Amino acid sequence: MNAIEIRGLTKNFGAKQAVNGLEMTVPMGAIYGFIGENGSGKSTTEKIICGLLVPSGGSVKLFDRNYTDADVRAKVGVLIEAPGCFPNYSVYNNLMLQAANLDIQNPEREVVKVLKMVRMEGAASNKYKNCSLGMKQRIGIAMALLGHPSLLVLDEPINGLDADGMRIMREVLEDITGTGECTVVIASHILGELEKIATHYGIIRGGRMIKEMTAGELEESCRTYVALQTRDMHQSKMLLGRKYSRVEEDETGYLRVYDAATPEKIVTYLYENGILVSEIKTDKIGLEEYYIDLMHEKEGR
Amino acid sequence: MVAGNELKFESPRFFTRIKSMLGVDFYRLFHTPLFYIFLLIAAFIPALILGSGGMENPDGTTSALLYTNVWNAVAANMPLYAFSNIGEYANMNMVFIFGGIMVSIFIGHDYKSGYVKQLFTTHAKKQDYMISKSITCAFAMACMCITYLLGSVAGGLFAGLDFSANVGSLIIAIASKMIMSLGWASLYTFLNVIFRRYFGISIASSFLFGTGLPIIAIGMIFGNEAGSVLNIFLYGSSVYACLGSNIVTLIVCLVVSAAWAAIYNMLGTKLLSKSDVY
Repeated sequence: MNAIEIRGLTKNFGAKQAVNGLEMTVPMGAIYGFIGENGSGKSTTEKIICGLLVPSGGSVKLFDRNYTDADVRAKVGVLIEAPGCFPNYSVYNNLMLQAANLDIQNPEREVVKVLKMVRMEGAASNKYKNCSLGMKQRIGIAMALLGHPSLLVLDEPINGLDADGMRIMREVLEDITGTGECTVVIASHILGELEKIATHYGIIRGGRMIKEMTAGELEESCRTYVALQTRDMHQSKMLLGRKYSRVEEDETGYLRVYDAATPEKIVTYLYENGILVSEIKTDKIGLEEYYIDLMHEKEGR
Repeated sequence: MVAGNELKFESPRFFTRIKSMLGVDFYRLFHTPLFYIFLLIAAFIPALILGSGGMENPDGTTSALLYTNVWNAVAANMPLYAFSNIGEYANMNMVFIFGGIMVSIFIGHDYKSGYVKQLFTTHAKKQDYMISKSITCAFAMACMCITYLLGSVAGGLFAGLDFSANVGSLIIAIASKMIMSLGWASLYTFLNVIFRRYFGISIASSFLFGTGLPIIAIGMIFGNEAGSVLNIFLYGSSVYACLGSNIVTLIVCLVVSAAWAAIYNMLGTKLLSKSDVY
């Protein structure tokens, strides 16, 4: 059974088509990284999953049931855009309100528990409006976690978080998905961070899913490259460019050779042309580069 | 709930769903200063109207009494649908005007804060929202009726006005107006669902309907003879609950209020189910 199964989903806002025949499958227990440019249809899809928008066509199933079923929707936790909190209420009162919404038994205990999970127990009495952006994101996660949801839908949950906040968020998500009881869909632009936790990926563009894969498949798809440094980077780039199809200088000052068979061949080739290699290593491109490459591919570049 | 990868679903029953939604709305109502401010407004206005009558003005003249009997501030002597003088209209029906504004702000905060995301994500049935909001706001308006009554008594005592009345009719009139709160609250909830993205229009529309201007206009065209027909509307029944009320008045108000509440709840549910909610 999949946590989410979307077939042929479309959503129009007037003449504008935000989602265009989207197909999406999120297995149970997955941390699904939902990636796409601004306006690609990520948030619209998430809002449809949460029942906030009515689709123009297609089907959405959550845990093999229609997404409009009351029983299945009671198991969804959400953080879309900003947390839905009342600014003049304290953090604690906002969470108590959500506990009332979910008809949770022992609400005080549950609220304290989720506050501890997001490391916010010390800020319970703060008014929501006085919280920092990072704190608000964590409150949103705490709110989404109330009632032990089986599906968490998070839109940009790590936006505005500092390094420590991101680490906490990562730990929280790993904790809640560790048992396989909770499936998480995360839309995020911070791909480096997403790569550390996601088990599955979906890449959306122009309202269509252009690629769905597991973290393992991404690992296999990510091209290996040889990164090197020489005393004459300009000459090296020119020489390597004659022999290999893709040679680029990266932002850290390394020259990347993508379709090289082995580093030894490159070292030998440059040596034969009078250039000494000072540093060389092999590596794999990350999610971010994979995504950029895929986007360029789709644009026909 | 979960065993391995097996999920067990429990279909929440209607009363369980409504209970949790009501839990949210009543929690919010009792934790928002807005509710208490409107209770005070409802008490202050009749107290001010009654208490200031007959007082000496700075120029030495005495201001005219709007009412000589306290209970006229609560309900008119008889149902008057066509406009005659302000005294016939400035009674407990005013609660429905303030109540409309309160409901608009209360519901508007759901959307402004984004809390509706939490509500509609976990509550798939849109009727839960309509019913819960209508009941909560009806309760708030009924409370405003009580503080209005207390304010009237206090103002009347201060001004030394006449308290004589047919107690049975008076109780029925007050109870009928309180019952009408449900219909009014449902109307305002529906209007706020229609204009959920436009806070200002929500308030303006609630105010317009609360004043009963559409019914007053009909009353002016057809005269008070149209009365029995106008009773099928919320404002008509609210006017019908007067100091000459009897058990029929109570039944009419009960039926009209419940019928309109059902109609507005049904329309609101339909609208929310067919359109984007956030």
